[in-house]
Amino acid sequence: MSQTDTLNDRTLVRVEGLTKHFSVRIGAYGETKATVHALDDVSFTVKRGETLGLVGESGCGKSTAGLTLLQLHTPTSGKVFFEDTEVTGLADKEMRPLRQKMQIIFQDPYSTLSPRMTIGNAIGEPLWLHNLATEQGGQERIAELLGQVGLNPAFAFRYPHEFSGGQRQRVCIARALACEPEFIVCDEPISALDVSIQAQIINLLQDLQEAYHLTYLFIAHDLAVVRHISDRVAVMYLGRVVEMAPKDRLFDNPLHPYTHALLQAVPVPNPRQERQREHTVIRGNVPSAINPPSGCRFHPRCPLAFEPCDHVVPEWREVESDHWVACHAV
Amino acid sequence: MSELLEVQDLQTRFKVRKGYVYAVNGVSFRLEEGETLAVVGESGCGKSVTMLSLVRLLPPAGRIESGQVLLRGDDLLALDQRQLRDVRGGQVGMIFQDPMTSLNPFINIGTQMAEPLLYHRGMSKKDALARSAELLEMVGIPDGVARLREYPHQFSGGMRQRVMIAMAMSCEPSVLIADEPTTALDVTIQAQIVELVKELRDRSGVAVIWITHDLSVVAGIADRVIVMYAGYIVEEAPVDAIFEDPRHPYTVGLLGALPSLGGETGTRLTTIGGAPPDLAELPTFCPFHTRCPFVIDRCRSENPMLEPVSGASDRGHRAACWVDIRGVTEQTGGTVATEQ
Amino acid sequence: MTTQELSGPATFSTVEASRSNLWKDALARLAANRLAVVGIIPIILLFFIAIFGPYLTPYDFLAQDFTARLAPPSSVHWLGTDELGRDVFSRILYGARTAVSVGVISTVISLVVGIIMGSLAGYLGGRVDMMVVWLTDVTRSMPALLLAIVINLTLKVPLEAWLEQMYLQTKNTFFRQTMWVDLVLVFGALALIQWPGYARLIRGQILSIRSRNYVLAARALGMPTNRILTRYVIPNAMGPLIVAVSAGLGGAMVLESAFSFLGVGVQLPIPSWGKMISDGLRLWQTHSYLLVGPAAMMAIITVSFAWLGDGLNDALNPRQWKE
Repeated sequence: MSQTDTLNDRTLVRVEGLTKHFSVRIGAYGETKATVHALDDVSFTVKRGETLGLVGESGCGKSTAGLTLLQLHTPTSGKVFFEDTEVTGLADKEMRPLRQKMQIIFQDPYSTLSPRMTIGNAIGEPLWLHNLATEQGGQERIAELLGQVGLNPAFAFRYPHEFSGGQRQRVCIARALACEPEFIVCDEPISALDVSIQAQIINLLQDLQEAYHLTYLFIAHDLAVVRHISDRVAVMYLGRVVEMAPKDRLFDNPLHPYTHALLQAVPVPNPRQERQREHTVIRGNVPSAINPPSGCRFHPRCPLAFEPCDHVVPEWREVESDHWVACHAV
Repeated sequence: MSELLEVQDLQTRFKVRKGYVYAVNGVSFRLEEGETLAVVGESGCGKSVTMLSLVRLLPPAGRIESGQVLLRGDDLLALDQRQLRDVRGGQVGMIFQDPMTSLNPFINIGTQMAEPLLYHRGMSKKDALARSAELLEMVGIPDGVARLREYPHQFSGGMRQRVMIAMAMSCEPSVLIADEPTTALDVTIQAQIVELVKELRDRSGVAVIWITHDLSVVAGIADRVIVMYAGYIVEEAPVDAIFEDPRHPYTVGLLGALPSLGGETGTRLTTIGGAPPDLAELPTFCPFHTRCPFVIDRCRSENPMLEPVSGASDRGHRAACWVDIRGVTEQTGGTVATEQ
Repeated sequence: MTTQELSGPATFSTVEASRSNLWKDALARLAANRLAVVGIIPIILLFFIAIFGPYLTPYDFLAQDFTARLAPPSSVHWLGTDELGRDVFSRILYGARTAVSVGVISTVISLVVGIIMGSLAGYLGGRVDMMVVWLTDVTRSMPALLLAIVINLTLKVPLEAWLEQMYLQTKNTFFRQTMWVDLVLVFGALALIQWPGYARLIRGQILSIRSRNYVLAARALGMPTNRILTRYVIPNAMGPLIVAVSAGLGGAMVLESAFSFLGVGVQLPIPSWGKMISDGLRLWQTHSYLLVGPAAMMAIITVSFAWLGDGLNDALNPRQWKE
């Protein structure tokens, strides 16, 4: 791993000031227009061959970040670069060759496969679309892909409803792999699965990364999983990235008070440690993204909040090499 | 500590189109006064069905085939509907996974909270509302009197779960059954709820049955742990022993599958290959044998009983396995490798 | 790993899942539904009679037997004869033709209109959607029979006048056949009554399927819109549509009879059950057998389509497989 890191230590995906606002109608009759600040001024880079973990609680915008990065949502503003190509603003047709290189695996393996399509066809679709195989060659390739994700190639003629959640997630992974991608957004790929199945999928993703030199943006809410799989981790809160660092530095020495609180909240699977551990629980709930707090969005819950926090948006800065944070108190 | 609840040989099955699903297959366990018991397992292992069977809240297709549920000596399975209603919400409080659908959206919080107090305690409406406001403040919702007039949609997920807990605790139950109460919640909210339940438990002495699929939560809250698989209890032990000296291969597998926040980097997670079995018939073999790395011939022909394990630090440590896996795990350094 | 993936279904949800394809599965479920099977038999029979009826009838539907007017059922006339001495049994068999052709043609028309309007609304959204929804609401708020009567009363005379004019201008005998007016009016009224249902169904399906993750996944794969439509959206919208069409066919046949009963239906020499019922009703105290045949047919067909629709609904609903 470390070898490939040094060899390819260059940026594959670059996100600059990415912003996504949704307009919604609220009120009993939808009489009021409002804006959901799902993603605000988010910048990060993903290096070739690495896994960047993106964590945060529900509604923090981490999934929106993944979908907007892939242009599945049209960004309100900001830019996304893949290698040296700007993907923001590309027409569908120009985007198609890039879609082949940038893939996504979704959270819910039950709804991401069409119930009326055999899994062989589901995996074959991208092959034929991107001319990666002929009609005949496709069948062999499908069998090969099924084998690679640990499924029996004979399953190709079955329908999704015959499979369990873990097996379906394997099918989705095979479908993404069929594109021969370089970059995969993993949007909570294991959240809907049972613990023992989660571990199988994590291992599979790691094996495939090694075999095909894949780059992952791994979106999850489970910090332990993110620490396990990522090289670097970015933490999001209410539409903004608040901290980003190599994983060990982030988990052992979190600088942002939200990251700190998040880590405190994670239960430790060890009863003795858990009894001794200090349990300072962060107060309150995540505010609504329709009317987010001014200044630093975390300030109403922050134990360190002081004068500028409620009106000045903290600057996103690199406090030490490769450790970025947005906080006035750091 | 004295015994509060004793479950003996509970069997529950569901009628489906082609025959039955054997969801709970002879489960026996005890709960002491004031104790917290965690019930752990993956979806479909029968953990929720077991707890719903205790208070006979099964869906229509479900039927309790046999067993006894003794709550301070009274068999809940022998009670008539009226007596049973006194138990539910009275002696036994329950909270569920989904706080979004557990509250009636058309009725304000105060009316819903007052309901059990009016019914079980015979309080006046005024007293019940006053008590409800107190309860809200007790579960960490300030300004209780005003919030009683609000409707469920005005509460966030975590707040609703607090309301559910307040309702479950309102009649001072002796047992609180919590069925995956934090699964639908974010990690910081989960931590709040866990702390709240611990605090209420320490203050009121209520015994808690905490059903979860998440072993990490168990470490912080439970005194004892039951691990369920395919409708059987496969291991039962004090919490420390479960984490430090697991004796059933499934427990070992579950622990290995947990990535740790402490972060030993670069290691592979140990996995349990395959998937849980079909419960369409009662197994005449160990239900875990198809996924078990320690499998021996006997596992394929006989289903092991839950029995005390040898050399355990606690007499209450029981496991259902033909193999003494201690030696084997030491050899492989605790890693469960799948070999065929 | 591979061998273990093969071992055993994973959860309760897959216990029941079979290994064949979805449509075969649906068919098997349908075949297992007793009411649906009972319902299919009269429907198949109905279509058979509609096609081959004329070869099966003992008498021509117009043949009058003046010696046996209003004759009760006998071995010669199984269901008796009407006022003009026509064989009731033969007329019922011919009536199937009217019922089926009106049902099928009006359903096809309303389906086409409904699919176009519904897909426009579902895809374009915004103002188009609002317009279509408003239009369907307005149409559906009017009582069906009243609508048919109004259409008949307001359009019949001008249409016939127009035909007459066309004939005078072109001398084409095609324009002399005034029965076209009736047919157009009946089909038009039925289509007008039925299209909003299909349009709303299609619109709902498209809106719901469009937000499904598999469509998002297809977009992420770089799939062009037309391919997403044909490969993902349409196949998944088929199930509910089939159910609706089954119910719609039965409904259209019943409505046609109701129109005929009220005198705004097809005024053809070809018998219509509704017309037979309305004729029979005048004499039901003395000659109740005139009523029994067509009324029984109506009842059987209505119930059959309802049962089949129910069966299809259960068979095509993917949730059913999960439980």
